[in-house]
Amino acid sequence: VNRHSLSLWLYRRLLGLYPEEFRVRFGSHLESDFLELLARQGPRAAWRRVVGDLANSVRLTHQYAHSERRRVYAMSLGGERPMGSVLFDLRHAVRSLWKAPVFTAVTVLTLALGIGANAAIFSLVNAALLRPMGYESPDRLMMIHEAIPESKVPRFGVSPADYLDLVQYQRSFTGIGVYRSRAMELSGTGEPEQVDVAQMSASVLPILGVNAADGRTFAPDEDQAEASVVAISHAFAERRFAGRSAVGERLILDRRPYTIVGVMPASFEFPKRGAEFNAIPADVYMPLVFNPFEREARGMFYNHSVVGRLREGMTATQAALDTSALAARVTENYPAGLRQMGFTLQIAATPFVDEIAGQVRRPLLILLGAVGLVLLVACANVANLIVSRSVTRQREIGVRVALGAANHRLFQLLLLESLLLAFAGGAAGLVLSQWAVRAMPAVIASSLPAVTGVGLDLRVVGFTFGLSLATAVVFGLVPLASGLRRNVGDTLREGARTTGGRMQHRMQKGLVVSSVAFAFVLLVAAGLLIRSFANLMAIDAGVRGTNVLSMEVTLPLAGYNQASRVRSFYQTVQERLGREAGVRAAVVTSDLPVRGDGERRVFTPSGYDPSAPIASSVAVTWVYGDYFSTFGVSMVRGRSFTADELQTDRKVAIVSRVLADRYWPGEDPIGKQIKWGGPSSTAPWQTVIGVAGDVVDGPLGDEPVIHIYVPYAEVADEALAAPVAGFLRRMTIAVAGNVDETRLASPMRAAVAAFDPSLALAGVTTLREVLREATAPQRFSAMALGAFAGGALALAGIGLYGVLAFGVSQRTREIGVRLALGAGRGEVIGLVVRQGLVLTTIGLVVGALGAVAAVRVLGALLFETAVYDPFTFAIVPALLGVVSLAACYVPARRASRIDPTVALRSE
Amino acid sequence: MSPSVPSLGQPPLTPAVFHILLALADGPLHGYAIMQAVEASTGVDGRMGPGTIYGSLQRMEDAGLVREIETDEGRRRVFALLPAGRRALVLESRRLARLATMVRAKRLVPKESPG
Repeated sequence: VNRHSLSLWLYRRLLGLYPEEFRVRFGSHLESDFLELLARQGPRAAWRRVVGDLANSVRLTHQYAHSERRRVYAMSLGGERPMGSVLFDLRHAVRSLWKAPVFTAVTVLTLALGIGANAAIFSLVNAALLRPMGYESPDRLMMIHEAIPESKVPRFGVSPADYLDLVQYQRSFTGIGVYRSRAMELSGTGEPEQVDVAQMSASVLPILGVNAADGRTFAPDEDQAEASVVAISHAFAERRFAGRSAVGERLILDRRPYTIVGVMPASFEFPKRGAEFNAIPADVYMPLVFNPFEREARGMFYNHSVVGRLREGMTATQAALDTSALAARVTENYPAGLRQMGFTLQIAATPFVDEIAGQVRRPLLILLGAVGLVLLVACANVANLIVSRSVTRQREIGVRVALGAANHRLFQLLLLESLLLAFAGGAAGLVLSQWAVRAMPAVIASSLPAVTGVGLDLRVVGFTFGLSLATAVVFGLVPLASGLRRNVGDTLREGARTTGGRMQHRMQKGLVVSSVAFAFVLLVAAGLLIRSFANLMAIDAGVRGTNVLSMEVTLPLAGYNQASRVRSFYQTVQERLGREAGVRAAVVTSDLPVRGDGERRVFTPSGYDPSAPIASSVAVTWVYGDYFSTFGVSMVRGRSFTADELQTDRKVAIVSRVLADRYWPGEDPIGKQIKWGGPSSTAPWQTVIGVAGDVVDGPLGDEPVIHIYVPYAEVADEALAAPVAGFLRRMTIAVAGNVDETRLASPMRAAVAAFDPSLALAGVTTLREVLREATAPQRFSAMALGAFAGGALALAGIGLYGVLAFGVSQRTREIGVRLALGAGRGEVIGLVVRQGLVLTTIGLVVGALGAVAAVRVLGALLFETAVYDPFTFAIVPALLGVVSLAACYVPARRASRIDPTVALRSE
Repeated sequence: MSPSVPSLGQPPLTPAVFHILLALADGPLHGYAIMQAVEASTGVDGRMGPGTIYGSLQRMEDAGLVREIETDEGRRRVFALLPAGRRALVLESRRLARLATMVRAKRLVPKESPG
């Protein structure tokens, strides 16, 4: 063997020419055969035998090895059958995503947040603005209001007498109808309960273009004289008469029998939420019959809503002009005494749809825009993540190409991965949005118009899914584009990553800049709304709301047609509650503070100067008990009502501070007098005995409304017992406790039940809740935008972190060289941080420009906050800067800890 | 064609494959012995070096025509025909026999006495 060792050595070297697989498999065979050749035939013959053979077989085995690799690769990818390969690639995609759990989780979560938030907000928008009203061509419907500019109250409803004039005078509408909301006691079976009733002229349902689903609606003469017929909502029919037809059944409302003549369709909801008055969806509809007094009374009962349908060919603008022109003719019918007060009656017609959705359209659209920005940031981040990952995958893709992977298979694989991500993100987003919609406080839903239930809409889901899909797909294929463009050798060569990386790095930087910019805009918007909300919350509503519980009761005419019975009710209940342990103060009153839904009246103050413009309307609250202690309203001057004044009509009143300041400036209001109606009114003068602090009546932030408080004793017996004054028999019982408000409910129920067990209690609420409701829309906007902005901030931070960390990992070698050449750790940290701050700064500049342009739409939503609030515009970049620095920190530290020797070897 | 014969074993076989199959027809052989047997069947002009033999064996093994097996005699491993290999050899031999008959019928070569 020794003499052949040179030959063997040489032959072994030559075997290196064969493909590796072949060498591993047959190398030893070849050697032993060669040795045998040498031994038997000598070196010369042996070499002659193998040299030509080598030349031939090396080529053939390489060819074979290559074709074999292709075949094995194709087989390993599930063969070339289309479905087999898809299933295979799907498995592969799942596996490769599974192997990158952080990437997968962050991507899916980001998509989920973007999709979830969008779907939730769009569901709201859809419910409030897009869902059909359930009326025939609602865009042809208009609402009519009256207004008296001097009253400082923007507008009222329409009074019955004025409505009857309009019916005669108007020519713009095919017809107009009148309605009002009220609560009635439903009894007869089980516990008495309170139902929401819409009383309406017979013309309302034809104007809305809605017919009964079962039975009929009202005949034209049924609103002329009491007909005792009602129609009911579909939901109410289901609840009360499950399964059987309700038509022909009887309902006991306010202890009087009514016959059900019709059941409305399931899609019918009326009145809609969102209008200023009479906006409680009713379960029972009944004809509205005006009594003779209502038909004649001018200057009061401005609490009716009027709806009309435009005549064919009539535009909304023309109808509005025509309607306002009718004001003069209606005013002529007012008694001379009222007309002399120098007020201007205005009548305005506005589109019904705006009336319902108008107040919330802007905030909702702003939220929609904001959530759209969040989705953009989320998409930018997903793109960023995928691009980052793609660089590390370039090698893998290069190998696949080298091994003979067909382009369409690579495409398929990457596409499937992206689709998986998008679907996982979308599904998680759906879950999130469903959760968000459910978690949405009920008060939000009920403060939105036309919203009965906010549900997820398929169009929403489809849209957001589509967008996320597009993002994932477009950016998912980026690595393919750059992987295929370069040739295989390039990709496989060790140093090749930088060229492709640079292009993608640039794209990533762009994405980070836009994330920062979007986050800037969102943060500014959120900051402004939050500041505005804080300003709003800082307003003194004029009440102290701890441990105050209230509930409503409506005394039905049937049991309470004697004033003495009504008076006995409020006196007995209030006095009993006042004696309860744990009760600090108790009151029975006509309305709650802050809600601003009470009665408004024309009044005349003493010393009235006919030449001065005069507030002809004032909010009136009737009380029995200590209203001011119960609700924590301060007494600025004078005193509260005495027990005697509460029980017997002593012609006394308490006025609000703005009233006193406006009508008796610089004078002592105590002892001044007021009377209901105009200067010529024959109503008795009432003496002011106290001045109460101003209470915000209506939306927080509005000017305080002038207010007069009088004892129930002031109401004439006839008025209290008359069917017309139904609003006076809707009473609110309120108790302020020394104990927790939840413990006040049962004594209150017991006090009412002790007087009349069949009375229905409703509207149980706390004063705190009333205050919360007053700011609910602003709270919701501020919270939602705050959440969106927070999300965008986090996403922008993560995006920046991702880009910097990626940059550091790409530049490991360069940093290693710098460190080896003596650069300090500090310099390296500075290098990374500088890069991060440059990106942030560009983003900030772009974002600031965007914010300046975008916040203008917020103007109308802000309370005592400038659109270009310097504080907000200063703090947002600072916040983003801090987050950016935090995002820079980890990559920078990693860079500074690079070990030069390892970094240089790592290549 | 019988589906149980892999594509590499489909007639016409390459000379290398045919001669290796032929060499293994009488029983398992190791590489050097195959080389010798092939040389015997092809003559000196057609003889193949070890690279060609093993290159073919590799394909034939992948195609399931032959298999390497351990033997009792020492560490030397041998290659044996698999059923598919035998079928391929039979098919190819029939084809060649038919060809040979045709060739003979045309009297292109002097008649040889069968030996």
